[in-house]
Amino acid sequence: MENCSLQMKDIVKSYNGVTVLKSVSLNVRQGEIHALLGENGAGKTTLMNILGGVVQKDSGEISLFGKPAKITTPAESQALGVAFIHQELNVVNDLMVYENLFLGRELYKKTGVLDAKRMCEETEKVFKKMNVFIDPRKMMSDLETSYKQVVEIAKALLMDARLIIMDEPTTSLTQKEIDNVFKVIRGLTKEHGVTVIFISHKLGEVVDFCDSYTVLRNGENVSSGSIMQENGEKISQTDIAKMMVGRDVLNQQVYVEHEIGEPLLEVKDMTVGTCVKCVSFHLKEGEILGITGLLGDGKDEMVRALFGDLPHTGTVLKNGKPLKVKHPSKAKCQGIGYLPPNRKENAIIKDLSVQDNITITALEKCRRGVALSKKKERTVAQEFVEKLRIKADNIQNRITSLSGGNQQKAVLSKWLNAKPDIMIMSNPTQGVDVGAKNEIYAEIMKLAKQKIGVIVTSGEAQEIIKLCDRVLVMYHGELRGELRRDQLTEENIMILSTGGSLN
Amino acid sequence: MQNTITKQRVGLNSLKKFASGNSIVLVVLAMIFVATLAEGTQFLSLQNFMNILRNHSVIGIIALGMSFVIISGNIDLSVGAQMVAVAAITVSFVNSTGNVVVGIIIAILSGCLMSTATGIIVTKGRVPSFIVTLGMQYIYRSLSMFFMSGGGFYLDKTKAPFYTQISNYNLFGKIPMSVIYYALMFVLFWFISRYTRLGRHIYAVGSNEKATRLSGINTDRIKILAFTLLGLAISVAAVVESSRMGSINSTSSGNAYELNAIAMTVIGGISMEGGKGRISGALYGMLILGIINNMITLLGVNVYLINAFKGLIIIGAVLLQRKDREL
Repeated sequence: MENCSLQMKDIVKSYNGVTVLKSVSLNVRQGEIHALLGENGAGKTTLMNILGGVVQKDSGEISLFGKPAKITTPAESQALGVAFIHQELNVVNDLMVYENLFLGRELYKKTGVLDAKRMCEETEKVFKKMNVFIDPRKMMSDLETSYKQVVEIAKALLMDARLIIMDEPTTSLTQKEIDNVFKVIRGLTKEHGVTVIFISHKLGEVVDFCDSYTVLRNGENVSSGSIMQENGEKISQTDIAKMMVGRDVLNQQVYVEHEIGEPLLEVKDMTVGTCVKCVSFHLKEGEILGITGLLGDGKDEMVRALFGDLPHTGTVLKNGKPLKVKHPSKAKCQGIGYLPPNRKENAIIKDLSVQDNITITALEKCRRGVALSKKKERTVAQEFVEKLRIKADNIQNRITSLSGGNQQKAVLSKWLNAKPDIMIMSNPTQGVDVGAKNEIYAEIMKLAKQKIGVIVTSGEAQEIIKLCDRVLVMYHGELRGELRRDQLTEENIMILSTGGSLN
Repeated sequence: MQNTITKQRVGLNSLKKFASGNSIVLVVLAMIFVATLAEGTQFLSLQNFMNILRNHSVIGIIALGMSFVIISGNIDLSVGAQMVAVAAITVSFVNSTGNVVVGIIIAILSGCLMSTATGIIVTKGRVPSFIVTLGMQYIYRSLSMFFMSGGGFYLDKTKAPFYTQISNYNLFGKIPMSVIYYALMFVLFWFISRYTRLGRHIYAVGSNEKATRLSGINTDRIKILAFTLLGLAISVAAVVESSRMGSINSTSSGNAYELNAIAMTVIGGISMEGGKGRISGALYGMLILGIINNMITLLGVNVYLINAFKGLIIIGAVLLQRKDREL
């Protein structure tokens, strides 16, 4: 095939007798953004690890830029012009931008001293190529997350990468930041012929930004083609999701009618540092209240304050009684649960087993006398594993052995186990595949049916629209507006979250 | 041909699997085996074994407490000096009143109080425990020397004859009481680590403090309590040590106890990163250090080499555990 940057043909890979890739093929044309799609465990990561030289294929052929390629180590892959940008940012925050770019490949003067001037110039050259303007001497920690992502891409270009693999680069970015990053990527592919393979669970981005796609399911090719179809229309997210999961999940009705009861929580004039300014709202029993907004809107700080994780001023009433929560442990005692964003950092206790992670919030329930009863713990954990369909070989294994979606379900179980009356969830489906996403939505609906007040914060408008009875939109730490379920549209949310007002 | 290779691999793998997590036990067994091979040694005699245990029970008890502090993600460098301070308080109280029971209660209260204070400074003041306990070490050592005028306190055996018996009595004429205390403390600490909420929370805090806090757990309290438990261990160690010696010395007692206690925990597979390792590791660590000391003496190796062997074992044990984790 002509103009092909990458051809992977009949790739087979198995681990310990389990075949994870059954003769998978991938063709990527030069200068395109190619989406590699599939649920967690579909084999995307393994395929890319083979390309990156991290793992070895059992059989199959790879050709890069028209030539057969033999890749056995990451270094070989790099030398052939392949760069791998991982989900987690690999930047050193305490160094300057140019120092990050040249980390490990520093330029020296003849005297053996670092040549900062030349490195800065080179950095500027790369940024110019990308059409971004960042001061090479700026501290990395002062950059927005999207610019850190841009620096990662610049690093790849500096190594003369012609094929860049990006593994879920946008999970921690806001919509505006995502647009930024894609603008940069698009410029690179158009003007410099760089090819990008893009792995993401966010189908909206895929349809908006990518040129073509390949879908894997259970280690096999399901389908591939152009995003722009022959009839001149873009392929729909629904169709892609269908291919990924094998059934229609995206349009599956998530929202279930449920009864909304008495007022449960009343927040008056809550102020959190400079992030949240004098916000008042209420929450009723069985109500799913969405809070959304763009970066810097203060929604996450507000719910953290509600959970006692940040100091705040103002009054909070629960069932009409004043509530003072100065620490998350107090919040838990008062019946408030909190599913934090960024699972790996905030929610996973990595050295504990799946079971211990689930029971940790309510160990007092698993006691016999003074001692913990392992049997009771196992029963409790097993109950949630079955109820939430957590895929775990053995619940005594570390929680890190689970896939992202299952980890998230385990974290949710931990809070269901504590039986809160108010459940706060920040980005409940962050880094979770389409199938598990729907299961988590169903669980949220169940909570509402049990008269639990649910607060969901999310930057994804679609998620909020699917789930919520009522939505608060925040803008720069202030409450910009409130939308009833019948007023919920992406447009309305966008108007309010950018500081506009309705009517 | 290929078949045999895979078969060998499988055999090797299962051996590796068994060794994984148990490599420390294997090391202890190997050392005992080597020791018994040496001709004419009395290594396997009960007497010798009791000697090993008795000589290391004091640091061993401290190592049990140190395990909790390390698992919770902290470290304590002041344990040796603190033990001397606690022992000094206890001995001077027993000397002036002759009341052993109240003396022991005072030892436990003062030891727990000191460690709790350390824990409070570490958590509420947000100062790394390495720094706080480094400072505490100087403070305890210096105050002990000040109050003891650079010398020691000797037990008044006429006033409290029972106090010396605490450690020097042999149960059934064979088992030194200090070994019994070690066993009791081991059971207590093992129970706390495996069968209590506090124990689980200590592991959780050491593994991911932020996630633990956001699970509605008062992480500061957990870290302080880990120090308090270490304080309890130090108190018991102080009583056992001062009773065995019949004295406590401000300059020569408790030297390098913190390093030996840390060595025992680390050899036993308790990771300095926090969140990982078992209390039984501290027991294996004590046995390994004890056996080395003993073997070197019995085999007639130059005593100056003891620390070189200790150093090798510490590094070797940790390397071995890295391998375990990678498997």
